[in-house]
Amino acid sequence: MNYPFWDVEMGYGILMALIAVVHVFVSHFAIGGGLYLVVTEQSARKHDDARWLGFVRRLSKFFVLTTVVFGALTGVGIWFIIGLLDPAATEVLIHNFVWAWATEWCFFIVEILAALLYYNGWDRMSARNHMMVGWIYFIAAWLSLAVIDGIIAFMLTPGGWLESGSFWAGFFNPTYWSSLVLRTGICIMLAGLYALMAASREKDASFKASLVRHSAGWGLVGLAVVAASMFWFLADIPATVMDTAAKAMPIPMAALGLMWQLALVLGAMLVLFGLVLPKAYHPLVGVAVMVLGLVWFGSYEWFRESIRKPYVISGYMYANATEVGKAEAYQADGLLAHMAYRTGDDGDDLFRHACRSCHTINGYNALKPLFDGMDRDYIDGAVMGTGKMLGNMPPFLGTKAEAGLIADHIYKQVDHRPVAEIHGLSGAALGRKVYELRCGSCHVPGGHGSNTESYADMEPGDLGDMLDMAADLGDRMPAFTGTSEERQALIEYLQILGKGGAQ
Amino acid sequence: MNMLPESYFLSAPLWLITVLHVLTLTLHFVAMNFLVGGIIVVLAGKFSDKWNHPVVKQFVKLFPVAMAATVTIGIAPLLFVQLVYPRQMYSAAIVCGWFFLLIVFVVIAAYYLLYGGSFAKAGSKRVPALLFLALAGLLYVSVVYSNVFSLAERPGLCKALYARNQSGLMLNPEVGSWIFRWLHMMLGAVTVGGFFVGLLGRKHDDAFKVGKTFFIGGMAVAMLSGFVYLFSMMDLMKPLMHSAGAWWLLGSIVLALGSLHFFMKRKFAASGGMLFVSLLGMVAIRHIVRLLRLDGAYAPSSVPVHPQWDVFLPFLVCFLVALGVVGYMLKLYFGRQRPD
Ligand code: HEC
Ligand code: HEC
Repeated sequence: MNYPFWDVEMGYGILMALIAVVHVFVSHFAIGGGLYLVVTEQSARKHDDARWLGFVRRLSKFFVLTTVVFGALTGVGIWFIIGLLDPAATEVLIHNFVWAWATEWCFFIVEILAALLYYNGWDRMSARNHMMVGWIYFIAAWLSLAVIDGIIAFMLTPGGWLESGSFWAGFFNPTYWSSLVLRTGICIMLAGLYALMAASREKDASFKASLVRHSAGWGLVGLAVVAASMFWFLADIPATVMDTAAKAMPIPMAALGLMWQLALVLGAMLVLFGLVLPKAYHPLVGVAVMVLGLVWFGSYEWFRESIRKPYVISGYMYANATEVGKAEAYQADGLLAHMAYRTGDDGDDLFRHACRSCHTINGYNALKPLFDGMDRDYIDGAVMGTGKMLGNMPPFLGTKAEAGLIADHIYKQVDHRPVAEIHGLSGAALGRKVYELRCGSCHVPGGHGSNTESYADMEPGDLGDMLDMAADLGDRMPAFTGTSEERQALIEYLQILGKGGAQ
Repeated sequence: MNMLPESYFLSAPLWLITVLHVLTLTLHFVAMNFLVGGIIVVLAGKFSDKWNHPVVKQFVKLFPVAMAATVTIGIAPLLFVQLVYPRQMYSAAIVCGWFFLLIVFVVIAAYYLLYGGSFAKAGSKRVPALLFLALAGLLYVSVVYSNVFSLAERPGLCKALYARNQSGLMLNPEVGSWIFRWLHMMLGAVTVGGFFVGLLGRKHDDAFKVGKTFFIGGMAVAMLSGFVYLFSMMDLMKPLMHSAGAWWLLGSIVLALGSLHFFMKRKFAASGGMLFVSLLGMVAIRHIVRLLRLDGAYAPSSVPVHPQWDVFLPFLVCFLVALGVVGYMLKLYFGRQRPD
């Protein structure tokens, strides 16, 4: 907590996506596209085919304008955005990996110059020289991926680095190779999809058919590499991480599911429109397939980012920038003592550093709906218990008093009417809502922390006793502090749960 | 738990990082000066039949390339500043968050504007308009940078500003602490822009004259603003004059004048070399001022050094290979083309 916290209503996820996702798309496309251009140029020249050559040449203009300008600048933009949103993690990465980045910079310079010369050199350079520059472009671009992949994969699986602090252990970490192959596949696939989009506008039907078939081949080869290395990648993620995800992390699991479905649809589209009906490859199909590919890619990055929770650097730093190694110090001194930038409003400062990178009160991933109708003590308990809830959030590492300050801060901003009035509910329906709000984050019936079977043979009196001693039932489980009407309704609902109903 | 690796360290000796930092930052400034100074001189200079003038056309074609060079080279000093001053720099950037982030989008827009200019037909009225807009964007970037880096040197001010506003909507309100620095930088850019116009326009009398005017005039006002900047830092004057900064300052001024002398004689290699070293001196002074300003709050020399020579060496090899490949590609491009 050596940095101020940038407080923007817009979610951090969205801001990050704005630049990072765009960059990731363009940069992978830049690598695969480079290979596509030079390989296709080579074959066109070998067969002395002016039409193919013209196609590649037209492609190269757009290519340079997107990669050199957009790719390079959004790449710099990533430094800006991670520095603003995640300065502490950036600090860790830069100190450990600065020479890797410096090395990537060398490749980057070669890559940018090669792209400019390739694009400007169609008339000026001999065929041999031109293709040579093309190959240099591709090799430099791929090498820069091979470097950056080490750092991205490190964040998910720092491997032996956690013990040794060794650069090489962190760089060639457990998911390095699988994600490198996977990303290479993505590059090839995106190049194919882009070329398909360009090919779809071709007038001459038979030329179009051969363009489409050729480019669909690239898309399919890339997709095949991606699909195969995805299994490898998933196997390289520690089993405990995948287990926790399956139980308590709906987001990465949703992303993973989406990924497989989209890959299937994409493959089917490529075979159908690319290989079987190439002449019918309408521009709209071209755009649709491209978008599908990008959404697939987005879901992969979403998975990779969200499976890392509660960490930003696994095992080392939590996603809210608190450090694993300082947990004891935080708990002893309090978070405030470790905060370099304070505003005078301690509750707000604590909320920012503990929760705000993932939640707002009202907007992005809002907390207000979760706490409307809750009393201050429950909110206090929930803050203390964030680490136990569904979603695998970072544990709250501050003191009890600091949790209280956050609770006050949140409580000020939520609806103070009773749940029954806010939602217009009564009886078992009210009970269900109360359960969702007060218990459901830690005990999902049939899922994360489920304990419905405990209620199986409990009488209403037993359930009431249970609620009275709730705070003693589990580490960081809050006391039941709802109104008597809510208590009654909850007991009613717990009985239904105990009988195996209402799941 | 406490066995996790410590991450606040330098992976090479501080002197080495400083040398690389200052050197790459100077190169970044050369490219930036070509770009910003070049646009200003092209827009303001008196060329005959300006938008059809071969030298002007050449510059318009070169601006996107200069932009690519500015950005690409700029990444290296960005790495080093993050390495040595992350807490100062990012804290300042967060305080100015939206302004800082907007730089990315403004630069992208400026880049496309410059490409638009280079694709436009020679003599088209669109060219000056596009250049003007791009220049406005680049000036925005320079103002924000001056704000952020002047704030980064003033952690106390940075903290006070954050206490006032947490949404990244602050700029450095102590205008005196950045305006002269910024002005000096921009006038320096005009000077260097004048040099490049003279260099590329050496075969055209009117173009050389434009270059000369801006080179001389730019240097005069740049020096003036430099002294104003210097005197605006009265509090640091004494330590600065007792540091290596004094020598750098003296050397830079002499070299700048020498550069002018050789420029007039059309000895461009000598002139350019001196100008470069003079610029290097300015960057070195800038660096010394930063250390003095931070004195008491943060000293890079207190950061532990754990060298990663086994990573540095491969980097060095890659760097040399990259230089070789760059040279090779330029030869492929500009050299005689063998028919196949
Ligand atoms: C690393 C990001 C992150 C941080 C930090 C974080 N949360 Fe969350 N939180 C989430 C996400 C994502 C969800 C949605 C859970 C899901 O559906 O997977 C969530 C869900 C919740 C829920 C509802 C749980 C449920 O699914 O029923 C509560 C309550 C909550 N957070 C409170 C907090 C509080 C209080 C803090 C600060 C002490 C905090 N969170 C910090 C990411 C975070
Ligand atoms: C902040 C998280 C949290 C909330 C909210 C929460 N609990 Fe718990 N609860 C726990 C934890 C942790 C345990 C201990 C689980 C363990 O030991 O496996 C626990 C244990 C229990 C147990 C013990 C039963 C068993 O089978 O181990 C019961 C019953 C229970 N909770 C009911 C509830 C009810 C009812 C609510 C809502 C009023 C609730 N809990 C709210 C975290 C929570």
